[in-house]
Amino acid sequence: MEVGRLPISATLRGKLISAGYTTLSSLASVSPSDLARELEISNNEAFEILKFASHGSRLDRPDGSGAIVNGAETAWDMLHKEQLLPRITTSCADLDNLLGGGINSSEVTEIGGVPGIGKTQLGYGFLLIQLAVNVQIPGAFGGLDGKAVYIDTEGSFMVERAVQIAEACIEDMTDYSVLVKKNATPHQVQIQPKDILENIFYFRVCSYTEQIALVNYLDKFITEHKDVKVIIVDSVTFHFRQNFDDLALRTRLLSEMALKLMKLAKKFNSAVVLLNQVTTKFTEGSFQLTLALGDSWSHSCTNRIILYWNGDERYAYLEKSPSLQSASAPYSVTCRGIRNSTSSNKRTKMI
Amino acid sequence: MTPENLLHLLQTTRKCTFGCPIIDRSVGGGVACNSLTEIVAESGCGKTQLCLQLCHCAQLPLSLGGLNASSLYIHTEFPFPFRRLQQLSQAFSSSYPQFPNPSDHIFVEPVHSAQQLFDIMPKIESFLANRDSPLPTRLIVIDSIAALFRSDFDNTPSDLKRRSALFFKISGKLKLLAKRYSLAVVLTNQVVDLLDSSDGISALRIGNLKSLCSSGRRVCPALGITWANCVNSRLFLSRNEEVVGEGDGVVNGGELAQRRTRRWLHVVFAPHLPKSSCEYVINRQGVVGVESQ
Repeated sequence: MEVGRLPISATLRGKLISAGYTTLSSLASVSPSDLARELEISNNEAFEILKFASHGSRLDRPDGSGAIVNGAETAWDMLHKEQLLPRITTSCADLDNLLGGGINSSEVTEIGGVPGIGKTQLGYGFLLIQLAVNVQIPGAFGGLDGKAVYIDTEGSFMVERAVQIAEACIEDMTDYSVLVKKNATPHQVQIQPKDILENIFYFRVCSYTEQIALVNYLDKFITEHKDVKVIIVDSVTFHFRQNFDDLALRTRLLSEMALKLMKLAKKFNSAVVLLNQVTTKFTEGSFQLTLALGDSWSHSCTNRIILYWNGDERYAYLEKSPSLQSASAPYSVTCRGIRNSTSSNKRTKMI
Repeated sequence: MTPENLLHLLQTTRKCTFGCPIIDRSVGGGVACNSLTEIVAESGCGKTQLCLQLCHCAQLPLSLGGLNASSLYIHTEFPFPFRRLQQLSQAFSSSYPQFPNPSDHIFVEPVHSAQQLFDIMPKIESFLANRDSPLPTRLIVIDSIAALFRSDFDNTPSDLKRRSALFFKISGKLKLLAKRYSLAVVLTNQVVDLLDSSDGISALRIGNLKSLCSSGRRVCPALGITWANCVNSRLFLSRNEEVVGEGDGVVNGGELAQRRTRRWLHVVFAPHLPKSSCEYVINRQGVVGVESQ
């Protein structure tokens, strides 16, 4: 325990620990007056504690690598960290290319489109593929290590469909592992869709208050249930389009929720996928399609993908991304989940 | 807040059969509980027929694909087709003698305006919660949602805004009820003609079908894209008249030529269904699917 090393009296140390301050970093962002009030000690004592704590944390870093604020990282470290993070495949090669390998963990990605375009299907895709991969790989290391949270606000989550896609994922991966190692062990444990379903935490929320409460609670929930790698909200919009006469209030609530989700993504290195609806916007005498929740919301997500019809094909357009250029790619929704568009298959065959 | 057990959900999420294996096949076993299903069609396609039939089939035991439940039929278009209901009930009880009076388990409630529909929601909820009746209610039909919204609102921005707010309120409430009481909710919707095919927003493609055609006209579901966001699944019924046996014995051409109406059911979008369709006919016994050639 780091606070144990501080040169302060035993009573103060006891008070600190019982208030939950066990590490020096936990003391880094507390003001003396707050600490004094919380521990019921004098301001001077609190000030002393913080002085020792900041001194102690400087001693912890003998190389003195120039971290001005506690917890600061260099861009170089961050780049390394980001490269190590896994991406979640969509199981459609074209979409993966568009997204630079898949959905980024530790970022918030928003996906929007008209009803029936396949938003929920993409949601299932991220959920189940990721879990199927997790179930398959750590088999040798014992136990499953990835879980997922699915927040359903619209009632569109159909378990039977989830089972269908999970089965297809498992089949694909069994085929793949047979291809990779020809001498596949015959006694390999056959995973069942059941194993995957058990790793999905499914929440059905019926109002916007519940939705906000759940997002607030997720921090605690994920701390308790480690290894949540995907958080999907299907859809983030639905409850925010009813009962809001005060649009300023809505904007505030939404941006607060978005911040919390971003924090979750960073803290637990999990991918956050928000599904959004489309609406029409009346500008200069004509109606245009845009994603719902208005302009201020569009700042809230790191990545934004818009799904649309192009003739008889479904396309995804990467509208916003900090690292990738805007482009679009076709995909199709099959009974096995999201796959490459059939016409692009034909194209590759012809070449 | 605790997550729900999906394995348990898998076993308890039921479907309500349409009472015909061919139709059931194309809609994955029937209307799914815990969600909103919309049936879109122009008049005379059989929306009401299908709904009335559903109300009967909901009474079937689980082993026959029903919900073992009674149903609530909210009608907004007048008059309510009591005679047809009675006809269907007779046909139903002759094929299932264990249900002598199926009409006893169909509750009918008229609603005249969108606001009234929203206002009676608490009443509906207390009705659903009341378990005194031998069969719990697990099916709500609203026929039609369009009639409520197409009359009361002007085509001005403020009225349209008010209208879409009401869409979300009503559908949010219905989804809450559907979840809490594991209901199947079926809504019917009308269509509007699509005048100009290149006409921006109303020609917007929603779902599996490139365009919806009925009676040789291009149509699109009423109430716009906002409402489309409110339902979970959408089915489309279409009909087309075909001239059959032209030329044999028909003197005056057109008017006397034998015509036959062919009807189709399409899945426009649904989270659990692929694109599919089937042909059906309406006869005295109700709506029956036919194997298409």
